[in-house]
Amino acid sequence: MPGDCHYLEGNANAKRRVAHVQHLLQQIGLEPGRLRMFNLSSAMASQFAEYVEEMTRQVEALGPNPLRIHHSNTPLTEEET
Amino acid sequence: MIIAEQKNLNEIKNLIGDAENVLVLGCGTCVTVCFAGGAHEAAITAASLRMATKLEGHPRQVTDLTVQRQCEWEYLDEAAEQIQQADIVLSLGCGIGVQAIVEHFPSTWVAPGLNTTFLGLPTEQGVWMERCAACGDCILGLTGGICPIARCSKSLLNGPCGGSENGHCEIDPETPCAWQLIYDRLKSMHRLDALLEIQPPKNWRTSRDGGPRKIIREDLRLPAEES
Repeated sequence: MPGDCHYLEGNANAKRRVAHVQHLLQQIGLEPGRLRMFNLSSAMASQFAEYVEEMTRQVEALGPNPLRIHHSNTPLTEEET
Repeated sequence: MIIAEQKNLNEIKNLIGDAENVLVLGCGTCVTVCFAGGAHEAAITAASLRMATKLEGHPRQVTDLTVQRQCEWEYLDEAAEQIQQADIVLSLGCGIGVQAIVEHFPSTWVAPGLNTTFLGLPTEQGVWMERCAACGDCILGLTGGICPIARCSKSLLNGPCGGSENGHCEIDPETPCAWQLIYDRLKSMHRLDALLEIQPPKNWRTSRDGGPRKIIREDLRLPAEES
């Protein structure tokens, strides 16, 4: 949980880095909401399932990855997968 | 070291224009250490450009490569083939790197991917601060090793000014007053008497005021027939 990471300040560092990548995605032209960070411990199975469902709903609402739509006939590069 | 920041992706896309074949060239020295233009940043910039241009319906061929130092021609030679094949080289080196490529590969179009910002050092992880203005006439020996040219907002030689308040600068209250730092340092070293000497106006011809600067070391030059 925030401030209570097994790796001490690890999740606080990750939070800032996720924000940086979201900003980068926005500049690229992708929705930053395709990347999110959730805090939970390994003992929170039901919460984990809820977050997965929430993220799935969000990504479904955003639609398929536009990088795949534009050139579905060409192989995906590493960063597009 | 030279400190730089990446330009935002939109500006980089505008600089690239219609080029089909783009080489993002990183530099393995100063801008690697300040996380602006090393191999890691070059790879991310190239991937971002590939994705962004594909989303716009005009995908480009964007590759990346990093040389040890863009500011020395012999290191650029290692990337000669890729540089000459590119429609444009997006340099993630400092402004010196950009110009070194231009001078060594005159037929190549080169654009800067970074804003070269200052000469400085990291004071903590993720924070860089200016320390040297490269004025060409170092006075650190007079000021306890703290540069008033780079660190005083007014570059005063006989400070502080009246805007120094509680040890900070009137230009930006987050900025320590360089002359307060100098005073504190000299006091701690029992050398306050150094401040009794009034410094005359500085000769700025050694700085930018004298135009582009040049150093010639005859002891290091090669004979004309060997160079």
